[in-house]
Amino acid sequence: MAAAGPSVFLLMVNGQVESAQFPEYDDLYCKYCFVYGQDWAPTAGLEEGISQITSKSQDVRQALVWNFPIDVTFKSTNPYGWPQIVLSVYGPDVFGNDVVRGYGAAHLPLSPGRHKRTIPMFVPESTSKLQKFTSWFMGRRPEYTDPKVVAQGEGREVTRVRSQGFVTLLFNVVTKDMRKLGYDTGPSDTQGVSGPSPPPGRPL
Amino acid sequence: MAEVHVIGQIMGATGFSESSLFCKWGIHTGAAWKLLSGVREGQTQVDTPQVGDMAYWSHPIDLHFATKGLQGWPRLHLQVWSQDSFGRCQLAGYGFCHVPSSPGTHQLDCPTWRPLGSWREQLARAFVGGGPQLLHGDAIYSGADRYRLHTAAGGTVHLELGLLLRHFDRYGVEC
Repeated sequence: MAAAGPSVFLLMVNGQVESAQFPEYDDLYCKYCFVYGQDWAPTAGLEEGISQITSKSQDVRQALVWNFPIDVTFKSTNPYGWPQIVLSVYGPDVFGNDVVRGYGAAHLPLSPGRHKRTIPMFVPESTSKLQKFTSWFMGRRPEYTDPKVVAQGEGREVTRVRSQGFVTLLFNVVTKDMRKLGYDTGPSDTQGVSGPSPPPGRPL
Repeated sequence: MAEVHVIGQIMGATGFSESSLFCKWGIHTGAAWKLLSGVREGQTQVDTPQVGDMAYWSHPIDLHFATKGLQGWPRLHLQVWSQDSFGRCQLAGYGFCHVPSSPGTHQLDCPTWRPLGSWREQLARAFVGGGPQLLHGDAIYSGADRYRLHTAAGGTVHLELGLLLRHFDRYGVEC
């Protein structure tokens, strides 16, 4: 009777990893990748990227700017497992070794439009003071074997971390056929700013 | 059947006097709701903030419900605990908030409270730690028997939850 409707919807996200605020660290680069559920598959664009190394600007802003493009399209039959972007930021320590400065994750925005997100970045902490000194000395800090752990809820109980910076991301989101499949994603959010503001502010 | 997707994060917490905090969370729904995918409860990492006073968890929540009715709309209940350097955990606050009922992305601030004991228990908590806890977690999100409690305020838990609703307009429900 009725024509067969679509069974798959598309999520197209472009944007950038804009900048970072890390008061104590400099000369940073970031890597991003996406984590998504079993019903999702990337159809176009890049799933991973490594940015350039950026230094703090000499002026009063002390800004760390990457301006690193993100462009990816996903298709799915089910919003469960909505993709998350996982960021890892690395930088040199006092001895010149590359150490991790922060991990963070955020869901890609649900509704079409322009979105700005500021996500906190945290590192795993050493268990004891001796281990903390040894890892500082040897240049081998506690790291996650797979950064994608940060996008999962299970297995993180009582892992100790230290939050020490923020990364700002900008997204433009376009979806196709979500409404035809019956999904209501709410008002599209042009110029919406969401997420915590960098220190010393608090979320609104 | 109508479907609801709750996709978001428990961002973190502010306003607690202790600094190494983690959160145990759970979702409670009425009888008409069925959880199709996702975990119903969990526990976040322990965060010690270096910059500012907000503890950040960034704990992802991804739940897929199917429902036959509007009663028993999902409620998220939270327990915030602090962990000291010896690994002992102390209750910092209980809180709950309803999952928003309109589609879109929402910033939620959930206030918390903790039970006060007698003056002796309060003094002991200040020196040694510990303090009274609820025996049954359902007092966090239900109103029954609350009149027995005397509580003090804790900090605030910040969440960002996105709602996707499916087929609600077929049943004439306006959200």
